[in-house]
Amino acid sequence: MIAALGLLVGIVVGLLLQPDVPLGLEPYLPIAVVAALDAVFGALRAFLDGIFDDKVFVVSFVSNVLIAALIVYLGDKLGVGGQLATGVIVVLGIRIFSNVAAIRRHLLHA
Amino acid sequence: MSVEASGGTTGAPSSSHRLGLLDSITAFSIDEGYAEASRRRATPETTAEPRRPSPGVTGLLVVAIFGLLLAIAAVQNSRNAVSAATDREDLVAQIRARSAAVAATRDRIQSTSAEVALLESQFFAATSEGQSVTDRLTRLGVSTGSLPVEGPGVRVVVDDAPNAATAQQEVLDKDLQKLVNGLWEAGAEAIAINGQRLTNLSAIRHAGSAITVNYRSLARPYVVTVIGDPDSIPARFVETDHGGEWLDLQATFGLQYEMTSEESLTVPAATRLDLRHATTDQTPDQAPR
Repeated sequence: MIAALGLLVGIVVGLLLQPDVPLGLEPYLPIAVVAALDAVFGALRAFLDGIFDDKVFVVSFVSNVLIAALIVYLGDKLGVGGQLATGVIVVLGIRIFSNVAAIRRHLLHA
Repeated sequence: MSVEASGGTTGAPSSSHRLGLLDSITAFSIDEGYAEASRRRATPETTAEPRRPSPGVTGLLVVAIFGLLLAIAAVQNSRNAVSAATDREDLVAQIRARSAAVAATRDRIQSTSAEVALLESQFFAATSEGQSVTDRLTRLGVSTGSLPVEGPGVRVVVDDAPNAATAQQEVLDKDLQKLVNGLWEAGAEAIAINGQRLTNLSAIRHAGSAITVNYRSLARPYVVTVIGDPDSIPARFVETDHGGEWLDLQATFGLQYEMTSEESLTVPAATRLDLRHATTDQTPDQAPR
């Protein structure tokens, strides 16, 4: 409940402020969002599993975002930014799907 | 491990060594940190009833950050899409404007071409007027002697009688005057004597022992170059009074007279052509008193 509230607050603040993303960080924002999405779904699943932990959530969130951005940055420097971004998204997407499947099983028992 | 297995979809094995890449991704889709933390929590109070830990303030903050990221990314994306759309519209507008400019320029080319054609025809009209003026100038120049002329004509060579003893046996200035007047009467258009063009102000005079034309002394024989119809001038000259007198002179005093028809003769322009009294209407102030 409190997590849903936080999500709402964050979205509203983002929509209200509409901050300008620096041009250099712009390519990494979508990847960071996908990585954050993975962390959030993992946390939701852990919450439903009864093993949620605030510290782990924070650390996994931050590290996910930073590592995803770092990988894409490195790929950009090496000239394979697009491919690395695709790889990151594939891996995170698979994790998100499996987490969501677990969550679905928890909620709907199906 | 048991906790993780209860939540895992595939039953996460203890080690991922035998798993393929995709299997390991799905097997460890949840952070292993959660399981470890829960195990650590469970150790001191082993028999404690499993309570559901719920996210605290930090969790709320992180979720809020996530929402912020989400919103920013979405806003940025839509903004980029909008700017791309406006860029495209700008380009389309530019293309339309340039096309219109090209069409306008084409129209201007057409109208300018028409204008050029009009001016050209006007220019031709103007030059045909100028052409007539030039024609008149040429005609006047030929008759006044200001222009050199060439064309068919006759050449008259006159000279003193051989072994001339008296003045009557010599060609005098009045003899030449008669000759020239007869030639004018016969239809001459331009006359020169020994290269001296006869103008409407030319005088043929005796000065000392020589005949002068245009104030230049002439030496014998006198060659009179005449531009005119070479077929009709000899016959018409003989029919004039002066022509008859010349035939008399030739017969009586033995003056040499020879007229030959020429295909092409040239008569030079007069060396000087002064207006002494006449002025044009445009410069009345400069008229001499």
